[in-house]
Amino acid sequence: MADPYLAVAILFFFAGIVVLALLLIAEKVGPKKPSPVKGEPFESGNSPKGDARIRFPVKFYLIAMLFLIFDIEVVFLYPWAILFRRLGILGLVEMGIFLLILVIGFIYAWRKGALEWE
Amino acid sequence: MDLGNLESLKFFYPEIVLSGTILLLILFDLFIRNKRWLGLMAFLGCILSLVTTFQLYGMSPGWLFHHMIILDNFSLFFKVVSLLAALLVVWMSLGCREIREIHQGEYYTILLTSALGMFFMASSSNLLMAYLSLELVSITSYILTGFLPHNRRSTEAALKYLIYGGVASGTMIYGMSWIFGMTGSLDYARISEALFQGQTNHLALFMAFIFILAGFGYKIVFVPFHMWSPDVYQGAPTPITAFLSVGSNAAGTAILMRFFFPAVSRLGEGGDWLFISGVEWPHFLLMVSMVTMTLGNLCALNQQNLKRLLAYSGIAHAGYILMGLVVLNNDGLKAMLFYIVVYLIMNLGAFLVVVIVANETGKEEIGDYRGLAWRGAAIPAVCMAIFLFSLTGLPPLAGFVGKFFLFAAVIKQGFYLLAVVGIINSVISLYYYAGVVKTMFLDFPEPTDPQVTMTANTSALLGVLSTLTVLFGIYWGPLVHSLH
Repeated sequence: MADPYLAVAILFFFAGIVVLALLLIAEKVGPKKPSPVKGEPFESGNSPKGDARIRFPVKFYLIAMLFLIFDIEVVFLYPWAILFRRLGILGLVEMGIFLLILVIGFIYAWRKGALEWE
Repeated sequence: MDLGNLESLKFFYPEIVLSGTILLLILFDLFIRNKRWLGLMAFLGCILSLVTTFQLYGMSPGWLFHHMIILDNFSLFFKVVSLLAALLVVWMSLGCREIREIHQGEYYTILLTSALGMFFMASSSNLLMAYLSLELVSITSYILTGFLPHNRRSTEAALKYLIYGGVASGTMIYGMSWIFGMTGSLDYARISEALFQGQTNHLALFMAFIFILAGFGYKIVFVPFHMWSPDVYQGAPTPITAFLSVGSNAAGTAILMRFFFPAVSRLGEGGDWLFISGVEWPHFLLMVSMVTMTLGNLCALNQQNLKRLLAYSGIAHAGYILMGLVVLNNDGLKAMLFYIVVYLIMNLGAFLVVVIVANETGKEEIGDYRGLAWRGAAIPAVCMAIFLFSLTGLPPLAGFVGKFFLFAAVIKQGFYLLAVVGIINSVISLYYYAGVVKTMFLDFPEPTDPQVTMTANTSALLGVLSTLTVLFGIYWGPLVHSLH
């Protein structure tokens, strides 16, 4: 009795062969006409200008963090809203506690000035 | 006893109290001017949580929240340990100048959150819960490590810790996915059932264990997952170093035992543990334990910075604690728990003296401790000597009793090599601990060296810790009895 994972190994082997064969054929047979335009990075049709590694304010990082937190809050609200009737009053209380904790976080962010741009 | 969500809340008071304290701390931080109250509030919250934890002692074991969390005396013990660590560290922080200069509200909030994570680490009975709690502790630790603003060492340590921790926990969750793939469950009890039917591939199981050990091992700080610890211990604020060295170690040990004991081994007859044949993790742990203590002690020999020295000694002590796990019976377990309590007291004590000296001098090099006893700080110097000799394991101090139980458990099971390596290591460690004591008492201070004084608050804490270190060395009966 062969190992049940033998099939996976065979699959890996042939997948590797196919990839190698395709690369080799393209390398040997395909015509090559390089030009400066072809060598450029692709940016949806515009010709690229400047460096990709530019500096941007660290404040965006803070905004991203805040967004993440309150985004997740909304993600939790959706399934709760769908099951609202089945969860009943207990679900309402639980969600109330959850939102209370988030509101404390919101007050904290506000008071500490995380929402001010300057 | 297997409870659903609502019924579980009755047995969840310690966690609820701690979470409530954390929320109140965040709110009060916004509206209170005198930040000293925040430390006192954190202190009170810890005490309240400790009281509720003690009320739960002696209950019949059960599962909470649909098999997510296990409630038994073992998890309660580790809750008490992490609460004590948090409590003493809050107390220590109150008298620490480093801490007074930073955002105290966030500091205490995150410290208590870390303690809360340790609660869950000790009581999780599901791989997912284990992973989440470990991450909670890790992430708070990264933040606390980098808490000193405009301090290059602190920032560097936090970044190293973050990268190292990320890799370790990634490896761990990969191993967990293997376990899930082999057993079809994340619940420890079901994993155990599936594994004992014996249809899993042993090599794959062993690999999965090694991966998971990477995650646990980096919390316990055993070799080869120890590299982050010297830098982090040196860079972090000293009370946080103390917290990490004790809390992280204890919680890591708890989660490791939780995983190995209910999930992959069983209680056999006569208190011995049975483990799955073909997966030789006890032998693996035996080697890890020996290498860890040897490497930790050898590296500590050459350190000039006291916090770094204590970091390497912490690695060595992680090795000693693992000795108790190698023997696979209840004797070893008890010895281990006893040693964790003792280690908590003496290690926090040693770091407290570091805080006292750094408050006045701002330095942590061993050279700065020269003639400490003759610079108005005879009491801290004597206490430091007590803590260091206790860490070495000299009688009549608590460390000696702890090591005695560990070695006794190991020798009883016939692991003579491990015992010999452990004893040789204790002798090596005497050299560098005694070196510090020599610097404090036998070297003479330069006229430029500042005087060191203590506030009433820190002297009270120092008194408590050193009294306990001596007390448990002479009269250890009650503590041992309470571990049964």
